[in-house]
Amino acid sequence: MKLMDQSAILARLTEIVRTLFDEYDGPVDASLNAKAVKQWDSLANVQFMVLVEQAFKVRFTVSEITGLKNVGELMQVIQKKLGH
Amino acid sequence: MIPAAYPDLASLVQAQLAIFPEHESYLSTRFRNAAPRDLAFANELAAMIKTIAGQHLSHFCADYRWLAEVIIEEEIFFRREGRYRLSTFAEADAQVYSNEPYMRRYVNGILLSQLWWANHTSVMQYFRDTYLPGLPAGARHLEIGPGHGLYLYMAAREPRLASVAGWDVSPASIAVTTATFKALGYPGRIDLALVNLFDAPGGQFDSITLSEVLEHVEEPDQALRAIARLLAPGGRAFINVPVNSPAPDHIILFRTPEAVFDTIREAGFDIEATHLAPISGATLERARKLALTISATAIARKR
Repeated sequence: MKLMDQSAILARLTEIVRTLFDEYDGPVDASLNAKAVKQWDSLANVQFMVLVEQAFKVRFTVSEITGLKNVGELMQVIQKKLGH
Repeated sequence: MIPAAYPDLASLVQAQLAIFPEHESYLSTRFRNAAPRDLAFANELAAMIKTIAGQHLSHFCADYRWLAEVIIEEEIFFRREGRYRLSTFAEADAQVYSNEPYMRRYVNGILLSQLWWANHTSVMQYFRDTYLPGLPAGARHLEIGPGHGLYLYMAAREPRLASVAGWDVSPASIAVTTATFKALGYPGRIDLALVNLFDAPGGQFDSITLSEVLEHVEEPDQALRAIARLLAPGGRAFINVPVNSPAPDHIILFRTPEAVFDTIREAGFDIEATHLAPISGATLERARKLALTISATAIARKR
């Protein structure tokens, strides 16, 4: 995966959020978390994180999959795994 | 979260959240838009689960929490690899069925999932409200793999049935079903036995329940043919299979409800009715689009 800036990462994450959580039409930014999205339960979170893995060609640990607090933290982890 | 008119459901939700507070958002969504009829059924189910668990309710709730965490691990594997982790009965037997402490927690967790997972509750409600009333008076009923025993208990309470039996190949599973009937105070006689369906004489039943069994066996088509053989001419089967549903002992992956129904037809059944119940919080359309769990149920008649 080539270097990606934060806005590019957020754009990809936004696409995944819109695909998976089709009832959510609010903003997707660094502060977004599962509590704000009705469809984002623990199983949907796994589906979301694996779609993110596939999109960025990265692999998360189980604790990263279950423990990340919001999209901002996720972006930081993605950037770190991409070598930024 | 739960209206006061459903006290058993409300108290069971509270007991679960005391053990698993992170589940509040999920359970809130699970019951948010439930119709009064569905809440009434859930309340009835909650009362039975509380009675079965008795003074060990907090342990059952802890076992459900453990199960939910196990399912997350299986879901991660499934989403990454596109298949279930195990593929043979021997693997499932070694990791789950022969592991007594693991199995006990698993069965307790599955009992609570009958209420907390919308697809499980929906299928059970369909069984009680649609399948059982459609059986002819005097029908001889069998359940293969009755497990927690709630389906068999509902059949046993149906006065028009002539007899009710439950078969399993696991003594531990038979013990669980026996304990359910004892806890619920069932006064009648239930024929619970260690029987392999492939070895039993044919034509002895008018109705057979096969709920969440086919995904556990290596040759589901052969199991279905055995079910057809056990049925008398014109006999009916209630067959429930979850698709895209990773679990520690699921070895056969059905990817669509249609794959389930085709397998049933090919084994010698005509399908009279179907019921599709998507995972909590998902519409059927969304569940199909994203390959989420759907409980695919057929009422099938022996051809």
